[in-house]
Amino acid sequence: MDFPDSMSMEEAFALAEAEAKLNAALAESKARFENAVIPDRLNEDWRFGRPHKYARELAELLQSNTPCTGSAEVQGCDEEAVIINADDDDLKQTEMLMPTIGSDALLGLHLKRFGNGYALYLEKSYDSPIIINYRSSGLYTPSTFIMAAPGVHAHIIENIHCENGATIFAARNIQVAEGAKLKVELHAFCPGVEQVQGRCMVITNVQNMGGEVRHLTNFLNLDWAREETVAEIYAEGSDTQLYSSNTPLEHMVLDQHTRQVHHVGKAVSNLLYKNVLEDKTTATFAGNIYVAPGAHNTDAYQSNRNLMISEYATVNSLPGLEILADKVRCSHGSASGPMDEEQLFYLLSRGIPRHEAHQLIALGFVEEVDNKFNAPF
Amino acid sequence: MSLVIKNLHARVKDGAPILNGINLEIPKGEVHAIMGPNGSGKSTLSKVLCGHPDYEVTAGSAEMDGQDLFAMSVDERSRAGLFLAFQYPVEVPGVTNANFMRAALQARLPKGEELEAVAFYKELRGKMKELGIDPKFTARAVNEGFSGGEKKRNDILQMMMLNPSYAILDETDSGLDVDALRIVSDGVNAMRAPFRSFMVITHYKRLLDYIRPDVVHVLYNGQIVKTAGFELVDHIEQHGFDFLKTEEL
Ligand SMILES: Nc1ncnc2c1ncn2[C@@H]1O[C@H](COP(=O)(O)OP(=O)(O)OP(=O)(O)O)[C@@H](O)[C@H]1O
Ligand SMILES: [Mg+2]
Repeated sequence: MDFPDSMSMEEAFALAEAEAKLNAALAESKARFENAVIPDRLNEDWRFGRPHKYARELAELLQSNTPCTGSAEVQGCDEEAVIINADDDDLKQTEMLMPTIGSDALLGLHLKRFGNGYALYLEKSYDSPIIINYRSSGLYTPSTFIMAAPGVHAHIIENIHCENGATIFAARNIQVAEGAKLKVELHAFCPGVEQVQGRCMVITNVQNMGGEVRHLTNFLNLDWAREETVAEIYAEGSDTQLYSSNTPLEHMVLDQHTRQVHHVGKAVSNLLYKNVLEDKTTATFAGNIYVAPGAHNTDAYQSNRNLMISEYATVNSLPGLEILADKVRCSHGSASGPMDEEQLFYLLSRGIPRHEAHQLIALGFVEEVDNKFNAPF
Repeated sequence: MSLVIKNLHARVKDGAPILNGINLEIPKGEVHAIMGPNGSGKSTLSKVLCGHPDYEVTAGSAEMDGQDLFAMSVDERSRAGLFLAFQYPVEVPGVTNANFMRAALQARLPKGEELEAVAFYKELRGKMKELGIDPKFTARAVNEGFSGGEKKRNDILQMMMLNPSYAILDETDSGLDVDALRIVSDGVNAMRAPFRSFMVITHYKRLLDYIRPDVVHVLYNGQIVKTAGFELVDHIEQHGFDFLKTEEL
């Protein structure tokens, strides 16, 4: 370890202690990857998620000698954007420490393919959105690291283009410093709408150290999409908002898992996931709010709502709470149901044809999410 | 040319009958008031005419300028010229007033023709001004979080934009403040024309003082039990509906 000359004894001790902690965490993580099994039916976090098909096939692809082929580009943030390469140990370590929701083994395989994507170190505010595009028509495993320095305001749009039935597996780490205001939206989709295809899995870790962060996901026109988002709240006064809006079609399987982890009290987290389900789509949502012992005065909310347009669509909604502190305000709710007859009648009674009325109401249903995400800070 | 309702019977689907043989004719150009005690079937009549899925027509007919209403879908009836200002206008989250109106007007254009956006907004803004509605309401979701009076005004705005031949106003006056009542009535009066008629459902004379009806009907137990001129409004205002029980109907 290098100790700068000007360092005091206390600082040196603190640094050594931090390093020891990191090493312990890395050793623990190494063990977790070694012990992890590819998700199967016994994995509670893959309940309703068809692991024997999707997790297994993803793992097999990652273990095969299929090369990772994809392109990454960033717009609106040239200087601070670092393209990730395989020997960036710091970033690799960060990814190693990321929590998953039932997919440690898969994250371990992602790490074996580590070495593409972007790291954005945001030292100043940006007025216009920063756009990242990941594209592939084969197998691709990008990583994204976003670090917003104290007080920085920024808006990031990450697009994952799953072309021609690609499999894209992304890992993302988002760190928000005190006073930073960050909006990050992720859109994963198969371009062109002829028929759904392509698979996309995204593991995200949001770490809020006292800022305001809004995170939005949106999966469209894919065969299969799995999201694992863990938001960790490390500082009092932080505000963490998790959003998702989806309008899956055909036989798309949407599998979303979230965790709001309040390590400290006096912080707010809020989740709103809304889907409009058509055709033979399946949507699973399993959300958990965890309030650590001592994290008093936490405010944490979670809501999952599904509009079932088609009677052949399936919804599994599993909200959960685990509260180990006092004076906590927590609520969770889930509601799934068909289109409101009165709303539909109102539109029809104005001469709007049934098909358009359905579309308007459905878009309106998810619009709430976009409006909240886009509201001024 | 008129709206002709003959021996109309309707019930809640698989439930109790509510309309028990309504006979009513509203010729073009006329304003007919419908009064009647709470629960007598006024809103049900208006919703049945528009095709609300809660109700089932068990007998009778309704024709609008010779067209069989019950053979048309809800949206077809609207495009054919029928309009209902709801007693309780519905909130539609996430759908802006402007998009809602645009979709309704677009549906009236021939296939392949696009609504002219500039002209549309100009007209919408103009009518909103007439009704004293804040221009910001174009971007708000339909009726979401609107006050009772704002919802009523919004329904009248829709009527003005859609130019129906037959407009039913179901207790449009309830919830309106005195100024709004006058503004809305002026709007309705300005729309009175030989090619249009109104069915005005209300409990109060004050609305009918503004929108002077040609004919007044009393609906009771799902039937039109009395039809007369304006003097009937005065009578009800003074004596209520007691005559329904005592008078030989
Ligand atoms: N969907 C429904 N389900 C069950 N009952 C209904 C339904 N719609 C109407 N009714 C009943 O039918 C009767 C007539 O109701 P309606 O709303 O038509 O009355 P109204 O004349 O408009 O009354 P008000 O003056 O209070 O508005 C009432 O007893 C009401 O409870
Ligand atoms: Mg009524």
